[in-house]
Amino acid sequence: MQNQQSTPKLELRNITKWFGPKDTGVCAVDNCSLAVQKGEFICVVGPSGCGKSTLMTVGAGLEQPTEGEILVDGKPAGPPGPQRSVVFQKFALFPSETVAQNIKFGLQMCGVDAKEQERRLVEQLKIMKLEQFRDAYPSELSGGMQQRVAIARSLVMQPEILLMDEPFGALDAQTRTILQEEVQRLHREHHYTVLFITHSVEEAVYLGDRVIVMSRRPGRIKKEISLPRDVVWKRGDIEVAAEHPDFIAARREIWALVREEIIAQ
Amino acid sequence: MRINFLNRTRSSDSSRLPLIYGAGSLLVLLILWTLSTSVLGWIDPMTLPSPAEVVARFGNLIVEPFSGSTLAGHVGASLYRWALGVGAAVLLGVPVGILFAWLPGFRAVFNPIFEVLRYIPPFAWVPIAILWFGASTATQAMVVFIAAFPACVINAQLGVQQVDPILVRAARVLGAGQGAMLRRVVVPVAAPAIFTGLRIAISNGWMALVGAELVVGKVGLGFLISQGQNNDSVSTIFVGIIAIGSLGVIIDTLLQRSETVLLPWRKPRAQRDG
Repeated sequence: MQNQQSTPKLELRNITKWFGPKDTGVCAVDNCSLAVQKGEFICVVGPSGCGKSTLMTVGAGLEQPTEGEILVDGKPAGPPGPQRSVVFQKFALFPSETVAQNIKFGLQMCGVDAKEQERRLVEQLKIMKLEQFRDAYPSELSGGMQQRVAIARSLVMQPEILLMDEPFGALDAQTRTILQEEVQRLHREHHYTVLFITHSVEEAVYLGDRVIVMSRRPGRIKKEISLPRDVVWKRGDIEVAAEHPDFIAARREIWALVREEIIAQ
Repeated sequence: MRINFLNRTRSSDSSRLPLIYGAGSLLVLLILWTLSTSVLGWIDPMTLPSPAEVVARFGNLIVEPFSGSTLAGHVGASLYRWALGVGAAVLLGVPVGILFAWLPGFRAVFNPIFEVLRYIPPFAWVPIAILWFGASTATQAMVVFIAAFPACVINAQLGVQQVDPILVRAARVLGAGQGAMLRRVVVPVAAPAIFTGLRIAISNGWMALVGAELVVGKVGLGFLISQGQNNDSVSTIFVGIIAIGSLGVIIDTLLQRSETVLLPWRKPRAQRDG
């Protein structure tokens, strides 16, 4: 592991998660440890059902691990909250509230005053290119637009850690490509600390500073691959990046690891 | 232009079609009724009065009091009792249903009582209601309440249970406490199911009310019908029955209208993944 000199922003230490009673239930995650440094973009890939989403849910504090602990800045993390913001695969927008109300939701829960709410809303709408959808309801938006709103709702909280659980898994290929580039740009400009769960190897190679490959269930960490940071090809479109030899090599290596797990299942 | 025009007519035609069919079938029924009574005289007027007779009686009941009140008086009395009973059932039943779904402990304690009570028909309570409240408004309102309450509870509970847990998680991550979560996420999302419950509660309450009025009271539509029977006035009975049915339809329509106003976010999903 690299970067071990500094205290990680988010650390999952020896996490084991059983659903149902231990030893007779299902073990989703088995003794996983990972550390995300400040400003780092970590991608977790693995076959379906390998426990990668469970790892994120536990990391967010939404579920308690059976064993192990979650640390934020080296201290035990408390209950879930806006500092560890989550973007879900199914968007999870509040259907009875408009785009603006959805984005302001967390600010209101934290008692941010109305003026500041409005300022941050307007800023976020601009960043996510949602200005003209301010008063739309989620049901009036396409899937891609809904996920933009969900990302804006997380980012407006200025979270220290952003957890993303297959955020583009429910989108069509074209929309996904656009949003991948958008997230890449956001990370480059704002240096968010991100833990990103995906089953797409391409996505992981394009977005991640490090890619963590998980084994089939019970999920263990199979291998960790460091990718070049701040290279030119990552700044461009994913289509262009995918033609770079480094991208191809990394994708091949990671895919071989994932494939082993799928075939062994 | 021409194509647009054609499309538009076609789409507006198809949206009006159920309405046209509905009006048509009512009209056919009315024609058959007229033919079999006043025109052909197949049916004895003491069994089934003609539409003309019923309309005449209707006009008569509007201006002349019958058994103590005009038609408006009877309707008003029924609506008042109904509103009291349904109002109480909604105010109590919806929160109980929400809590049943939200707090497992609350449900464990109170659900068995609810389950036993809800299988007792509303009319089984009439004697005890008379004993408690006499022949007063409270008696009929209580019967309405008992008829309307279970639908409020069950549908509110169902609505809350069907809220996607991921919405609750999203609210938690954004820092929402229990109160804010219920108020801004859970209850609004459950609102369509709660509305369905209200519709059922309203019609159950209305039906139970008329039944209760047949047995007890000195005013109301149920009372009007029973007085029609006592006075051998079949047309009075028919005016009462038609008034009961029409009022039911009007109330339900108003509620459905209010749903589209109160839940503006429930629009058809016009565009998905565009």
